[in-house]
Amino acid sequence: MPSLMECSINNVIKIFHQYSRQEAHTDRLNQNEFKELVQKELPNFLQKEGKENRNEAAIKEILEDLDTSGDKQLSFEEFAMLVAKLTEAAHEEMHKDGHRGHDHQHGKGFGESRGSCQSQGGQSQGGHSH
Amino acid sequence: MLTELESALTNFVTVYHKYSLEKGNAHALYRNDFKKMIEAECPQYMKKKSADAWFRELDINSDKAINFEEFLILVIKMGVLAHKESHK
Repeated sequence: MPSLMECSINNVIKIFHQYSRQEAHTDRLNQNEFKELVQKELPNFLQKEGKENRNEAAIKEILEDLDTSGDKQLSFEEFAMLVAKLTEAAHEEMHKDGHRGHDHQHGKGFGESRGSCQSQGGQSQGGHSH
Repeated sequence: MLTELESALTNFVTVYHKYSLEKGNAHALYRNDFKKMIEAECPQYMKKKSADAWFRELDINSDKAINFEEFLILVIKMGVLAHKESHK
């Protein structure tokens, strides 16, 4: 059985491929595919700064920022930086509601975690104190 | 309710804290915490590189601890390697 870390990484790759394979260049996300992924798979993570973050222009801007090769598409390597940035944002968000310091606590962050990795040794619901 | 992708990202935070809260600073994985984490969570990534070698590579500011940002580098590296593997 994969660890929580491995299961989560596999899910990130699975979801990347779910969108990247829709159109030509099956291992890269073009603008349409990226837009669909952001809107369907990141509704809670990218809603914080308001709807404008999910509109056409904002999504194009995120893609251009991540597209270091300049081919107007995202390879998995380029997409991985978004994964890291959003994980960092999720971590920050948890500390907004929780408290820092000796009694390390996390608030609920962006919301309750769920999904196929949850049985893999990891309780991941928000609002817990350690 | 988070989506599957959002849950996966949240799980990375959970994994980090599972080991980083064991002692000292809450956002520091010391050498033995790190070894425990990488052995349990990513055993296949130690075939080519030891836990100590990974630690040295990730401890960018050489403070003998892996902070959350440094841990994210491991997530990126593991993701990129696992993605390559998925096409083999």
